[in-house]
Amino acid sequence: MSLFVAQDLVKRFGGLVATDRVSLSVEPGEVHALIGPNGAGKSTLVNLISGLLPADGGSIVLDGVELTAMSAHDRVRHGLSRCFQITSVFRGDSVRDNLLLAVQAHSGSSFRCFRRRSTEAGLRERALELAHKVGLEDMLDRVAGTLPHGVQRKLDVALALAARPKLLLLDEPMAGMGPEDSQQMVELIARLRAEAAILLIEHDMDAVFQLADRISVLDYGKVLASGDTAYIREHPEVQAVYLGTEELR
Amino acid sequence: MSDELHSAAIPSSGGVARWLPWALLVALALLPVVGAQLGLDYYVGFVRRMLIVMIAATSLNFILGYGGMAALGHAGFIGVGAYTVVALVDAGVSSAWTAWGAAVLVSGAFAALIGAVSLRTRGVYFLMITLAFAQMLYYLAVSLSAYGGDDGYGLYSPLELGAGRTTGDAALFFWVVLAIAALVFSFASRAAVSRFGHALTGIRDNETRMEALGYPVYRLKLAAFTGAGALAGLAGALLASHNNFVSPSTMHWTESATLLVMVVLGGLGRRWGAVLGVAVWLVLSEVLKLYTEYWHWPLGLMLIAVVFAAPRGLAGLFDDRSSA
Amino acid sequence: MDPIFVFEQLLNGLGFGLMLFLLAAGLTLVFGIMDTMNLAHGSLYMAGAYVAARVHEASGSFVGAVLVAVAATVLVAFVLELLIVKRLYARDHLAQVIATFGVILIADDAVKAIWGPSPVMATTPAALAGPVQLLPELPYPAYRLVLLAVGLLVAVGLYVLVNHTRVGMLVRAGASNRKMAEFMGVRVGRVFSFVFALGAALAALAGALMGPISAVQIGMGEAILIPALVVIVIGGIGSVRGAFVAALLVGLVDTAGRAFLPPLLRSVLPPALAADLGPAFAGIAMYVLMAAVLILKPAGLFPARA
Repeated sequence: MSLFVAQDLVKRFGGLVATDRVSLSVEPGEVHALIGPNGAGKSTLVNLISGLLPADGGSIVLDGVELTAMSAHDRVRHGLSRCFQITSVFRGDSVRDNLLLAVQAHSGSSFRCFRRRSTEAGLRERALELAHKVGLEDMLDRVAGTLPHGVQRKLDVALALAARPKLLLLDEPMAGMGPEDSQQMVELIARLRAEAAILLIEHDMDAVFQLADRISVLDYGKVLASGDTAYIREHPEVQAVYLGTEELR
Repeated sequence: MSDELHSAAIPSSGGVARWLPWALLVALALLPVVGAQLGLDYYVGFVRRMLIVMIAATSLNFILGYGGMAALGHAGFIGVGAYTVVALVDAGVSSAWTAWGAAVLVSGAFAALIGAVSLRTRGVYFLMITLAFAQMLYYLAVSLSAYGGDDGYGLYSPLELGAGRTTGDAALFFWVVLAIAALVFSFASRAAVSRFGHALTGIRDNETRMEALGYPVYRLKLAAFTGAGALAGLAGALLASHNNFVSPSTMHWTESATLLVMVVLGGLGRRWGAVLGVAVWLVLSEVLKLYTEYWHWPLGLMLIAVVFAAPRGLAGLFDDRSSA
Repeated sequence: MDPIFVFEQLLNGLGFGLMLFLLAAGLTLVFGIMDTMNLAHGSLYMAGAYVAARVHEASGSFVGAVLVAVAATVLVAFVLELLIVKRLYARDHLAQVIATFGVILIADDAVKAIWGPSPVMATTPAALAGPVQLLPELPYPAYRLVLLAVGLLVAVGLYVLVNHTRVGMLVRAGASNRKMAEFMGVRVGRVFSFVFALGAALAALAGALMGPISAVQIGMGEAILIPALVVIVIGGIGSVRGAFVAALLVGLVDTAGRAFLPPLLRSVLPPALAADLGPAFAGIAMYVLMAAVLILKPAGLFPARA
């Protein structure tokens, strides 16, 4: 049984159909990459799956639990966590406080208002653990907004990991990165697949072909093709879509 | 792991920050005694009013400064608290604790209802819709002819505090208000560095990210809004006992604006911000009133000066000096 | 209900609505284009009312008084923009609220210093003091008819200005997408100053015209500011068309609430309760309208930004 199944997702903006009956599945332990030219509807799809946008139709099931009607935060609690294409960290806070905030969401109630958070050793341990996982343990006291782009992206991933997700949604994790940072991110994602299945939205074809077990191609809001890397590479329609826009080796 | 980060939040003045609140508390507690000897009863009353306004301002600072919710209707909850006392006194209740406790509950309930609707909007629309609800409460109060309508309602007999003492005992009532204000202040200071406070500042800084981290953003905001409304109601109830009088003008929108102004003046989202803002604003008003009937414009000028010269409020100025 | 009475109230509502529109037009443009919340807009309205009342009394010419009031207020607004508002464009809404609230405090004291603390009587121009027989059984104050006519004329003028002139095009460009307008080389600073002065002129006009049928007193700006803000929120911030529709809606709802709700309540409720609730419901009507609109359309009826 698939870990994650999205069935016939639909999203309309006025007359425009941004997501047109999209169906996707992710198997346990799998990295499923979602590619497609700009404007194909990738971001909309990520927002539908994560619940930040309400869908007009379709269903989403993760590990046997129906998520379709759930709010975004409830989906996270059921194991669907995401990062953002435009780095979304708490820029004015230290890396440590960023991590603490993420960890706090998943251990105990955030309505507690009498105890100082700084006295909760358990939270701090979890935060440190996360920092180790993405390699940020030397930067705990740095202010997030002052860090280099690549480091901020790692922090963004760490924030998503705090939920101990079953499925991790990575929205263009390599966006705006140089080759060195990209390679580091590829290595990080390769390590993360041991912990969670991954739905990877990415423009960087090198990364996609290195990491993905399966690839789906989105165009004009529809799934154009879906299959393993070899299948996608040889697919004539996919080649047509990408001809001249992006290189598909 | 290091503790530096948390102590760094109180820059270099750790020692002062530790004893100053206690010194202040002692000085204030002595005021009624000293005041009575020097014949300064009026000023004891003035400080009592100031303490009450500080409760309301502290609650507003919590949702606005930490939670980023720019509400322009906080005076509405003060009014609800005050009118709850009026309604209970009118119905024959004579215990201060009953009346004040009820005021907290009723204004909290109003805040929960109003927040549930208002928090679905953002930014200026939130500002306007909270204002709209406060205006509704204002007109409701005007229409309550049983409680004096536009003219207001006089509370002729003081409320009982227990052991035969009443709010008519100026010194005792002062100490009660001081104790409540100190409790509210400590609670707000603690809540700000609790899980709840951290979650709230996270929402202020990046609401979408908080939702995607798994936080029930709407419920957290509503909880803060409800708590702040309840505390504003408490301030309203105390104010009713302080003035022995309640009128709809308590809820006029300029009262909400003034409260907002005091909080920003003192320093948004800063521990001492609301307290400092209220103190400066009320003391300046009082002093200016002594010298001239044109006492509004210097305050206006000060606001403009603060916006341009001290955008982080007066508490921000102290930070600069201590860290420079 | 007596149809004549209904018709009369309808006219009153339209008149109030049009005056609200004069105020709201400037407010919504300043908000929409400069993203600036100017609480002191009501103070400009007050300035217009005071100057007009005093000049009218001294000179005997109402038209002259209105023109002087508009000119004087625009001058004040020019200084205000130069010294304060201009520096607020880049700030957040809270800073704008605080600073312009400061301006309100200064303005109220200034008016008190110049014209004294008590309300000023603004007289209706003698030629318009009498009623006009609109229908055989409906005499209507001539002055209120003039108010309606001027309000409509200004609305049409503003429509033409915004939709069919070059200046208007720049204004619309600024309102719908400020960054893009800057990118296209629009001299945004000049457009801002123009819009601010225009808004001030309209506010002063409204103040001057409302003077004879309302109280010219300190605090009148704060009292009218809130309905004007309600109007721009209902209409959709930045939309002049929205402000027009919303102003008429609010004017009608408010007037109708005051005129029809009390008798309506008296017919269904016990008299004592009706006497209590009538004024409350009437006062609340426009806020309920706003809440309802925001629940259905969170960005107002005519959102200026797509």
